[in-house]
Amino acid sequence: MLDYIRLEIRRTLRDVGFVVFGIGMPVGMYLLFTNIGVDGREHASAAVFSMVGMASYGAVGAALGTGMGVAADRQVGWLRQLRVTPLSPMKLVVGRAVTGSVMVLPGITAVLLAGVVVNGVRLSPGQWAALAGLLWVGTLPFTLLGLGNGYRFSAQATGMVNVTCTMGLAVLGGLWFPVSLFPHWLAAIATWTPTNRFGQLGWSIAGGSLPSLGTAAVLAGWFAIFAGYAVSAYRRGTGSA
Amino acid sequence: MGVTAPGHAVRLIGVSKSFGAVRAVNAVDLGIGRGETVALLGRNGAGKSTSIAMILGLQQPDAGRVLLFGCTPEQAVLDGRVGAMLQEGRLIPRVTVAELVGFVAGAYPHPLMVDEALELAGLTGLGNRRADKLSGGQAQRVRFALALAGNPELVVLDEPTAALDVEARRAFWQSMRTYARRGNTVLFSTHYLAEADENADRIVVMDHGRIAADGSGDRIKRMVGGNLVSFDLAGAATEGLAQLPGVASLEIRGDRALLHTTDSDATVIALAQLGLVRNLEVAPTSLEDAFLTLTDDRTHDRTDDLEYDLAVNRSEAPGSRKVTA
Repeated sequence: MLDYIRLEIRRTLRDVGFVVFGIGMPVGMYLLFTNIGVDGREHASAAVFSMVGMASYGAVGAALGTGMGVAADRQVGWLRQLRVTPLSPMKLVVGRAVTGSVMVLPGITAVLLAGVVVNGVRLSPGQWAALAGLLWVGTLPFTLLGLGNGYRFSAQATGMVNVTCTMGLAVLGGLWFPVSLFPHWLAAIATWTPTNRFGQLGWSIAGGSLPSLGTAAVLAGWFAIFAGYAVSAYRRGTGSA
Repeated sequence: MGVTAPGHAVRLIGVSKSFGAVRAVNAVDLGIGRGETVALLGRNGAGKSTSIAMILGLQQPDAGRVLLFGCTPEQAVLDGRVGAMLQEGRLIPRVTVAELVGFVAGAYPHPLMVDEALELAGLTGLGNRRADKLSGGQAQRVRFALALAGNPELVVLDEPTAALDVEARRAFWQSMRTYARRGNTVLFSTHYLAEADENADRIVVMDHGRIAADGSGDRIKRMVGGNLVSFDLAGAATEGLAQLPGVASLEIRGDRALLHTTDSDATVIALAQLGLVRNLEVAPTSLEDAFLTLTDDRTHDRTDDLEYDLAVNRSEAPGSRKVTA
């Protein structure tokens, strides 16, 4: 299974598209959002808010992106080929999920680094560690959503579905613009999205407090829903697995 | 048939599989001994790929059982005793040939060295190439290397030479025979009788989801690969033609008689003695024709499997010949 993870990570890093969009996009958007049309006094808080938002956005995108690889592999018959090797289906799915969660790290790290280096965000070492850790763990529901999409849809469709999920959930969850700017009814919906709660993990740490129990509960709920989705999609997508 | 003997690499017992109303595989019994190289010969849709998918555990039979080395296909695959080259698989992008072969090898308990697998598959020197930037023939050889990489006891190849040119085909079979000579069991499917005859110890002919014939290349060729002698009847009587020397079956198309024969010389001499040489032609039987004579008239009125096995015995029993009109 470690070999599988190593192989997949190697393949992902050789994917120019992943490197540019998975790492470059969130960093670019972060720098854009925090430095254009934001004046001096607001800058510091915007830098922190947006750092967490964009790191979360990048992580969600990368996590969902795992599904793209799965769909492409299924399309060329690679998943079938793997099924006639001694690697068990369980190892293959877990291996992919691990790969997916490892591949969100570069995006998270890059945005946090840009926060420190370019925008001068200052947090305690404990806060940095907790922030990176929670952003990482918090992507698991999204990795599972991406895997589900990949096992279920064709490669092309998975791309579209993933982009729609990433953008839609990111905007709706307030990762791009704060939920406080939303109309009241939309803000009420936003608090139930996985992306908003995912962002809350980071925002509360950056604000010096622990994430609320409600946040953890909503994320756990989404984790269960997406895990169920991924498993059923795997069964459908690879036949009698 | 000996299918109950112990030590079989592959065993199918009354295996059936349907897709909707189509019976892809119909009550197939088959035993393949360890170390045998067996060709599964048949047309498109004969049930070869479905049989192979069930042998590999990729599909479950509706009825019957598949055993590999006495256990389920899933278990044999998990134990690393099986390697396979599936149809129409493409290689994944952004990996090198050596990485890919090394990865698959690493999943098996006693794999080949990567260099050894590459050499066996005729890929020496291509290890550092990206797998998605190879020619069709090279990619096919990589897929073969993936089947061998784990050094499995049983290698299953589903139409391994489809889409290969003559040169690549020859190289491929050379590699396959080298692997088989190490004492491994090889099962491959093909459309081509010549390919099956040259590269297998034994040929299993499938048609309409059943085993139509099973035997050595010579035996099958005698039934399947004989010659077709045809001539104008010009009103001559047809009885007795089916009993002429060498004739396996007789077919009448309009005013022309078509004799499927295993000994065209003897048949032609007999025809000459009868004064029937009119626009005489002797041509090798195409596989299509051969399948028609082997199976078609029997698929409608007979359901017992044993009848199909008779197809083999028939060519050796001079008394029993069939006439198709």
